[in-house]
Amino acid sequence: MSAAPATPELDLSWLDLYDDPTSAEPTKKGLTLDAIDIGGYASQEDLPRDMTPRLRGATARENAHRMGLTYNTKHDVWADQCRSLYEEAVQRQWSSARDIPWDTLKELPDEEERAMCQVATMLAEVEFIAGDVPGQWLPQISGDEFEVGLFLMSQIMDEARHTDVFRKRALANGGGLLQQGAGLGLRNLIEAQDFTEMSVLMHVQAEGFVQSMFRMGELIGPTPADKRIFRMAAQDESRHLAFGVMHLKHVLAETPERREEIHHYLDKAEDRSAGGGSGDVTFPPVFESLCILLGGGKDRFDEGVAKFLLLRRRQVKEYLHRLDVAGLGDRRERLGSALAQYAN
Amino acid sequence: MAEGEPTEGPVTAEMRAAAQALGWEEGLLERAIEWGYSPRTVVSALSTKLAPAQAKSFLDREPLKPDLSWMDAPTEWGVRAEQADSEMGLTVGDIMVGSYGEIPDLWTDRTEIARGSNPQLGQEDMGYTIFEKAIVWTDSVADLYERAIRDRWAPATDLGWRSLEVLPDDIEKAICQVLTEHSERAYAESAVLGRWLPEISYGFVEMKLFMSSVIYDLARHAEAFRKRALANGGGLGLQAPTDLIRGATEARSYPELMAYLFVQDSAFLTFFRHAGDIAQNQLERDLYALVAADRERLMQYQVERLESFLQAMPDRREEQQRYLAKAEVRLAREWNDPAVREPLILLLGGSRENAAAGEAALTALRRRQVEEYLGHLDKACFVRSHLHSGLAAYLEEPETAPA
Repeated sequence: MSAAPATPELDLSWLDLYDDPTSAEPTKKGLTLDAIDIGGYASQEDLPRDMTPRLRGATARENAHRMGLTYNTKHDVWADQCRSLYEEAVQRQWSSARDIPWDTLKELPDEEERAMCQVATMLAEVEFIAGDVPGQWLPQISGDEFEVGLFLMSQIMDEARHTDVFRKRALANGGGLLQQGAGLGLRNLIEAQDFTEMSVLMHVQAEGFVQSMFRMGELIGPTPADKRIFRMAAQDESRHLAFGVMHLKHVLAETPERREEIHHYLDKAEDRSAGGGSGDVTFPPVFESLCILLGGGKDRFDEGVAKFLLLRRRQVKEYLHRLDVAGLGDRRERLGSALAQYAN
Repeated sequence: MAEGEPTEGPVTAEMRAAAQALGWEEGLLERAIEWGYSPRTVVSALSTKLAPAQAKSFLDREPLKPDLSWMDAPTEWGVRAEQADSEMGLTVGDIMVGSYGEIPDLWTDRTEIARGSNPQLGQEDMGYTIFEKAIVWTDSVADLYERAIRDRWAPATDLGWRSLEVLPDDIEKAICQVLTEHSERAYAESAVLGRWLPEISYGFVEMKLFMSSVIYDLARHAEAFRKRALANGGGLGLQAPTDLIRGATEARSYPELMAYLFVQDSAFLTFFRHAGDIAQNQLERDLYALVAADRERLMQYQVERLESFLQAMPDRREEQQRYLAKAEVRLAREWNDPAVREPLILLLGGSRENAAAGEAALTALRRRQVEEYLGHLDKACFVRSHLHSGLAAYLEEPETAPA
């Protein structure tokens, strides 16, 4: 019989790495990421980057592989509060299977069911790509900002749930999926070549527009189940949006020279489609279905159009407000024409 | 009657006052009524506080006539998914009905179209590269996804952080070293899997939902391990060896990635299943059990995917041997790394003085990991032609250590 693997003498040099004994204290919210952001393990501005998978605070191995280029400075990816946003995401996970009162769905007039299914079709598409986009950026985030990575991982889960809940809605009440609905404007999210470009376009612009729509869910959703779907999804979108606004604020504060570059990304996106990113709500199947739901039926389409205009105004006003909070208040003066008409 | 509703003819004094306050053109309200807008619509427009130009562009023209052709999209209509299990609620499996439950062997749409909806001509290619069902699919993905959501847990609040008590210095440091390693491994695996999401087309949406839950599971594992390392007077130790994860990032295709990760996913599942042996307290026992339960789902996917992949593409069977071999050699090398091996010896033995017993127990654990790895391959109907010697050696040692 062959011998078992040879047993070398114990080296134990790894025991000598702990010169900063740490005892993080749980808070009222449990042991949070903020609670462990202490001492030598806390996030810092100018940590040396090694492009290995090492997470902040671990001792580097001399022979560690590099894994490809990662961002070289904290402000390239950082968002203040990303730790608390991640913790909130973990605490507020919900289940599309059990937390939606599916039994409150009721038979709707055919035109309303079709309209709701068309909106759900569009959103099942929009939310799908919103999960792909953060995924592609994960390898480029240094382990020194692992909290940003954790937040994006939680966002991937959120977007999966949104994809799933809107698909479920379309198939739960005697309807089905309808016309491919997002129109133009989604690909620019996955085309982004820089983390800030991606975050501004996806978190701030696209998710902002979607969020404004979800917050009108009380008007759009014909049943308690629909209203609940919009409320729960809006709660998640708020986190994604907050991340984007805080990241943009951080970038503008730390690297004000990037202001024009960021405006340029927004110029492009606003010119594309009717505001880009969120799926094009002016795309006829989406526009018409929203007007039917907002108006309360095909016969009240005009009323729905008036409310749709309110939705657009809210989308644009809230978009500008968020940019203002992030420090890009001058966006108002250079807003793309498709959006500017709603900005007053 | 709602505020602003006409009380005298279609256009009331209140409506006129509101229009004037908004700066709307004089006479616009009357013209809107003449165009055929209802007073209710005009009131809605006033409530919306449209700017003068917007109000004119909306109301001073014939009302829009919706096209509504999308209502007749040639998709399956009349679907009313039913809950199969009221405990689970309305699951993704429940909505895989009729044409919406048909997963094509080859998905041909390059856009982000939701499977089952009617294609809109002229949409952009989203750059997906995975269109074959056999590459990614197994029938349990919908169920695995719903189970992941049902079994969710939160590291911050679902573990008894206040119950931690001071441990002997070597033991605390050994735990911290093990968890430094596994925090990094979990995070890195999640990042690698995330990078593959944009490659997979919408035809296999249920699989992507499940993979999203895996990415999130691994995030929480990374988080929880780090928290434990920083919660009890220790800290972070030496970073994990990088051979194993580097190989995953080198994968040129999804099957290669999955075959490669099969090795570590199996080894880590067995490790956490048996990590109660190294746990020093209830918090750690709970943590490892939760992690193992999450990893069971991932391993089920791995096993079933490999089996169905090779059934559909038997000509790719031999190729998998190479990927497995590459992962095995790296795993074996990392198992011999002092910072991987020695903390486990201390934890399994209980102290430096009891290192010999710890070594024996670790050998038994490694043996179990190799056996279960081969068992997982066996379940996938895959015969490993030549197990790497660094792993095979553990099978040759009679098991003498306690389980």
